[in-house]
Amino acid sequence: MKAVEVVNLKKSYPKKIPLPFRRVEWVEAVKGITFSVRKGELFGLLGPNGAGKTTTIKILTTLLEPSGGEAKVLGYDVVKEAREVRRRINLVAEGERTLYWRLSAYENLRYFASIYHVPKRDAERRINELLKMVGLWERRNDLVMGFSRGMKQRLAIAKALINDPEVLFLDEPTLGLDVQSTIFVRDFVKSLVKEEGKTVLLTTHYMVEAEKLCDRIAIIDHGKIIAMDTPQNLKKLVRDEEAVEIRVKDFSPEKVKEVDERLVVVEKEPEKGTLVLRGSIDEEDLPKVVERLIRAGAKILSVEKKEPTLEDVFIKLTGRALRD
Amino acid sequence: MALVAVIDKEFRMFFRYPLRVVSSLIVGLVFLLQFVYFGQAVLGGRYSALLQSSTGVGDYPTYALIGYVLWWVSVSPMEASVWGVRRELQRGTLESNVVSPMGLVEMVVALSLSWMLMDSVIMAVVFVMGAVIFEIPLSGAVVVKSLPVIGLSFLAFLGFALVFAGLVMVLKNIGPFAQIFEFLILFLSGAFFPLSTLPGWVANLSKAFPLTHAASAVRKVFVGMPYSAIEGEIAWLLLLLPLYWAVSYLSFRWAEKTARMIGYGGY
Repeated sequence: MKAVEVVNLKKSYPKKIPLPFRRVEWVEAVKGITFSVRKGELFGLLGPNGAGKTTTIKILTTLLEPSGGEAKVLGYDVVKEAREVRRRINLVAEGERTLYWRLSAYENLRYFASIYHVPKRDAERRINELLKMVGLWERRNDLVMGFSRGMKQRLAIAKALINDPEVLFLDEPTLGLDVQSTIFVRDFVKSLVKEEGKTVLLTTHYMVEAEKLCDRIAIIDHGKIIAMDTPQNLKKLVRDEEAVEIRVKDFSPEKVKEVDERLVVVEKEPEKGTLVLRGSIDEEDLPKVVERLIRAGAKILSVEKKEPTLEDVFIKLTGRALRD
Repeated sequence: MALVAVIDKEFRMFFRYPLRVVSSLIVGLVFLLQFVYFGQAVLGGRYSALLQSSTGVGDYPTYALIGYVLWWVSVSPMEASVWGVRRELQRGTLESNVVSPMGLVEMVVALSLSWMLMDSVIMAVVFVMGAVIFEIPLSGAVVVKSLPVIGLSFLAFLGFALVFAGLVMVLKNIGPFAQIFEFLILFLSGAFFPLSTLPGWVANLSKAFPLTHAASAVRKVFVGMPYSAIEGEIAWLLLLLPLYWAVSYLSFRWAEKTARMIGYGGY
């Protein structure tokens, strides 16, 4: 049995157009996606903002009903058997406001243990274990409102493990965290899968996160899965010699596509007036592309061949950078 | 138990901030004093023959104090449904609750019950203070005799309020509408004046609100009338109680279904 099975999943939202043109338009956020996650697998949904990642996770965690298709978690239908699904999963939602800031760390965990029907004796043991695991034992009696963003996220993860879920959903788990907290969360998530055998489905728009953590990745864009495989196999979509990074000066980002459709801006340094362009361009074409850039007015600072990354895969498949 | 956990959480968050408790007490008392002194000024004293003949309670401070305190408590689950659920939405914690096996119905019932209990604590203090200020005699026997009626009233208030909980999930911003409704109930339930002074059709409309019957029943018990004198009020409450719970449950289920289609908002 698969941990998660999604077949031709669709979701449309009503979007209200305000007065004076008041009407409702339907926006298709997820357009018929199909994928499955094996038990004990760390699966990532990678895509830019608005790609449909959070909508997918909300459907799988029973917060939303799909407009079409089918989704099952641990064999239970997320619409018809929502209560069964809820008993066996948990969610770390995006953002820091998923806890009660006016309760202490300990009180938050005790509250969530109760609403997940964890027996009182087990709950005490579990809360103490989790607070130690996420490094908040010393701060257990402090109100959450005094916690840093990273501490809140660690507590949110502890909260999500309170019912010992078989499948854990993480929506952008490192968004807005400092480097230290990001490393902690990534290592912790990895250990949950490797050491505790949990199944994890996470969404992210950080390529490094997806690449380092996930056993398999589905790249999602505009509500559709455009590629799905292991990070290694996905990177094979871009041949080694193709990934090129060109650093240019005094060049408008709007002109990039006029020079070559395959190039995208992956970094802007306005204070230095430089742009970093990336694309999949083979050796034969590269001198011509550089020449066209120079003719268009760009000053070339450097041209480097790079190890292909998931960003190169995304650029190759969509013609855009992930952050666009 | 999830219900107890929600109540415990709400009590902790409310009573952890003494200023909030003090402010609730002061607001409750200030409104009461204004209403009672205004009523006494109009009557030219504390006793009203009209009140006595139409409701059985002629002492205006007693009449107003009971009506006011019950009104406050009766609208608190409505406030919980509207502002409590909205606060969870704004905090970002609603979805953390909804995704749990507790379920939304249990959560909102618990939230409403918590707010009603918290307001009952506040209003119990206001009631005692009002009784002292207006020299209303209080006896333990009367309070004990009133408790079953108050309990039944609370159940009816809860059912009535839950209709709004469903609406807030779909419409999100119904606070102003609910506030108008709360004051409409204050007016239509005869908290501060006898319903016999209203046009017949308005007085009939007021029978649809549990507070009308609850206030009337508690007042009668409070002035020493036997349970047999409040049979009519009890019958109305027993009729309205399942009716409002059924309507609430159905509207809530509809709202939950709709919310799962369009999203719970918040975040």
